[in-house]
Amino acid sequence: MKNQIIGLIKENLIEIMPELEGQEISVEDTLVDIGANSIDRGELITLTLERLNLEVSRIEFAKAQSIKDLADMMAEKMEKR
Amino acid sequence: MNAGIEAMNIYCGSAALNVEELAKVRKLDNDRFANLLMKEKTVPMPYEDPISNGVNAAKPIIDSLTEDERNRIDMIITCTESGIDFGKSMSTYIQHYLGLNRNCRLFELKNACYSGTAGFQMAVNFILSQTAPGRKALVICTDIMRLGAVDGSMELAFAEPSTGSGAVALLVSDNPVVFQVDKGANGYYGYEVMDTCRPVPDQEAGNVDLSLLSYLDCSENSFKEYQKRVEGADYESSFSYLAFHAPFGGMVKGAHRTNMRKFKKARPEHIEADFNSRVMPSLIYCQRVGNIMGATAHLALASTIDNGTFDKPKRLGIFSYGSGCCSEFYSGVVTAQSQAKQRQFGLDKHLNDRFLLSIPEYEKTFAVNGELKFGTKNYKVDRTQFADAYKHVKGKNKLVFSEIKDYHRIYEWV
Repeated sequence: MKNQIIGLIKENLIEIMPELEGQEISVEDTLVDIGANSIDRGELITLTLERLNLEVSRIEFAKAQSIKDLADMMAEKMEKR
Repeated sequence: MNAGIEAMNIYCGSAALNVEELAKVRKLDNDRFANLLMKEKTVPMPYEDPISNGVNAAKPIIDSLTEDERNRIDMIITCTESGIDFGKSMSTYIQHYLGLNRNCRLFELKNACYSGTAGFQMAVNFILSQTAPGRKALVICTDIMRLGAVDGSMELAFAEPSTGSGAVALLVSDNPVVFQVDKGANGYYGYEVMDTCRPVPDQEAGNVDLSLLSYLDCSENSFKEYQKRVEGADYESSFSYLAFHAPFGGMVKGAHRTNMRKFKKARPEHIEADFNSRVMPSLIYCQRVGNIMGATAHLALASTIDNGTFDKPKRLGIFSYGSGCCSEFYSGVVTAQSQAKQRQFGLDKHLNDRFLLSIPEYEKTFAVNGELKFGTKNYKVDRTQFADAYKHVKGKNKLVFSEIKDYHRIYEWV
């Protein structure tokens, strides 16, 4: 499940930041280091929640620094569903 | 009976800065900066404060009233997060300098950037309650941020170009020529969150990501509540225009995109076209002033009224958000007559009239801002410091902040 979520997050990130296409994206690097500003990060959380059909407040993901953090938090919400 | 805005005017200072130029100097990523949709911001001058801005916004409205109409103003609500005293409200100064009737409720109201909507809705409900038929309320939304030396961290670096200064004055009555509210068409949504705040009077603190996410949550949930209260409300077809609280344009664009996808399952090309036709008119003034917090939602409304097309009466949706947080989605109707009345105040001309500062001139304001901290007991404003900007107010019947004497603020008409 978690790997699927990571894959989905990466796809969404490329959709938001097309310049990342074809680049190696580390799941451990912070989203800030990858070049995502706060709007990009908000969009990433929104899009991923929508595509996972998860109805959870976006503010719960504010602490996510990296793709891995975000995937961990989302996987946990999916399990609780 | 109807209620809403009888007249609205803005005052966004006498000096501005090109923030695209600032972004280059601060070495912000220029390609990405363009996506944030910022152009200029008003920079507060030492002779401007939230009171002088509020008075200058209201003055042309008050001057357009007869004495009898002026005496019908029953309350002045100042909506702000830039108060100058914990006890005394700015409404007292505003009443004094506008020469308004003493049989008047004077108070100040706070909830971050939601304050303007909070004050406006209280005024509307006062009119609709009919407890004082024929009376009016003056709502002054006014905020300012005097920046000090700039921190180099990424998020604060982006906060610098977005923070503005200015005021919007609204005369609320049962003659809502400019904006007639849809009665009871209000969806509110609020909860406790520590996103952004002013823990000390002259400094913003908080978490930009949390604030953006909270804004997105609220823009969705306040509309869902609106839909529960207004049968058949549709995010697209019910509103010819949408005006958002705009910390900066890019944030509004993000919220609109999210909502259009969520509520309408819209495709990216459709969302882009819809943004340009229904939302962009609201951002024209906001892009030139920056975020004026409690006054921004109504600045966006004023921008829509001036820059939209009103060949027939049209419904506008407004989204207001204030950190901490509280939010509201509400609506009203604007007509060709509304636009004609609004345009009399020449808001566009006022924004064009501001003096454009160079970066060194702008940075010179930091030192003065450091001297004008909350709680200053005595201070004399030196008007010669920014003489070029000052020429834009001198001789134009504007109120300027001139002195603090034993905590008492003193102003002068110049």
